[in-house]
Amino acid sequence: MSASQSAVRSRAEAVQVSRTFDWMILFTLFTAVLGGYHIHYMLTGGDWDFWTDWKDRRLWVTVAPIVSITFPAAVQACLWWRYRLPVGATLSVVALMVGEWINRYMNFWGWTYFPVNICFPSNLLPGAIVLDVILMMGNSMTLTAVVGGLAYGLLFYPGNWPVIAPLHVPVEYNGMMMTLADLQGYHYVRTGTPEYIRMVEKGTLRTFGKDVAPVSAFFSGFVSIIIYFLWHFFGRWFAKTDFIADDAS
Amino acid sequence: MAATTESVKADAAEAPLLNQKNLWAGISLYLVFYSFIRWYEGVYGWSAGLDSFAPEFETYWMNMLYIEIVIEVLLFAGINGYIWKTRDRKVMSITPREELRRHFTHWTWLVCYGWAIYWGASYFTEQDGTWHQTIVRDTDFTPSHIIEFYLSYPIYIITGSASFMYAKTRLPTYHEGLHLMYLIAVIGPFMILPNVGLNEWGHTFWFMEELFVAPLHYGFVFFGWAALAVMGVVNTEVMAIAKLLKKDLA
Repeated sequence: MSASQSAVRSRAEAVQVSRTFDWMILFTLFTAVLGGYHIHYMLTGGDWDFWTDWKDRRLWVTVAPIVSITFPAAVQACLWWRYRLPVGATLSVVALMVGEWINRYMNFWGWTYFPVNICFPSNLLPGAIVLDVILMMGNSMTLTAVVGGLAYGLLFYPGNWPVIAPLHVPVEYNGMMMTLADLQGYHYVRTGTPEYIRMVEKGTLRTFGKDVAPVSAFFSGFVSIIIYFLWHFFGRWFAKTDFIADDAS
Repeated sequence: MAATTESVKADAAEAPLLNQKNLWAGISLYLVFYSFIRWYEGVYGWSAGLDSFAPEFETYWMNMLYIEIVIEVLLFAGINGYIWKTRDRKVMSITPREELRRHFTHWTWLVCYGWAIYWGASYFTEQDGTWHQTIVRDTDFTPSHIIEFYLSYPIYIITGSASFMYAKTRLPTYHEGLHLMYLIAVIGPFMILPNVGLNEWGHTFWFMEELFVAPLHYGFVFFGWAALAVMGVVNTEVMAIAKLLKKDLA
């Protein structure tokens, strides 16, 4: 067989080989992105994601989108710009959430016995789908960053509202007013949780109404735009195929 | 006709392009091993892992640490040494079909690497968070650390380095020069292990709350980003495999 000949013997075999590689590549990409994204997310926004009593109206809404738009932007930069696959953001977020759900069930509940309804992960999927749709429809990184990034921040709280709302109802306990989520945290003691960071319901803006969550989401969307731009270029850099000189050869 | 018959016989005798048994054995090996580890820490974390000054902690956890470190060093040296020792010295003259077969073997390694990264960076790392939120740490070598830092991280390092070594010694694509993103995809996650030194130094000399987003942990974050370099490897592989498949059919 000469060097100009194909490695396969029929078109059918070529298709089969190609599909097999697709699955192997998808699995590797999924698990590697899962690992990298998860370690990034848990160590930059994890505490707000771990516990319902940390899922407040200000810092959770602000922090989670900003730190989680990173990998979706980077993976989009590879999958869309090289392969025209409009699934980079959704793939990343699905990977992250698979890793998180397995962990919360197997370890938070299975090893240290926190009920799943105190430690379920935040839902990042609506924002990710919107990011992918805007990129696919607009074919523009700038449009995706500005409109998609803003939407990513704005959609986070509504996307989680159906899950978190029942835990934000007020209860009275020992003469104190708190949320049901706070009560969960009160009963399931975490030995090392720094409470002073979690007490976030402060600030003059609250005096004027219930604008805390929308304002936080708006600010989060603003920063998400900038982070998207930054991580898009990270993604392009990580997708490079360059070689460097090998002194040994 | 006779030539066709010979060709069919040769095909029948030829090794398959993808050895599926190796692929599934590799995936199963990690799954079964880590399921056992999860069972072990579930039982002995609570019964022998709460007080590092207790004799049973030495028995069930410190001895495990010593044993795993020795085995990991031997595995790293053995696997990489074997791949290097049996390297193909005429890698540029292999047939396209043999090259394709080696790409499949290479992807078997990469699948295992991704799988190992999942267990290390996702499963056992976040698990460490819930353990420290529950048990007051009185040692750098907590049960969760003995599994996370000193077992699951070395295992993905061994898998990643073996994958890189296989590509470098057996595939024409990587023979000349060093693939930058491949290096980052292997060395970046590797650097998470030395970064444990910073982590433990910080936890030892300050009494810090168990805050996962503490700046002390940002080294892990930075090196975790290196997992994205797998995209560069994918792009290179896609180009190499497409080139092999698009040549004239034999």
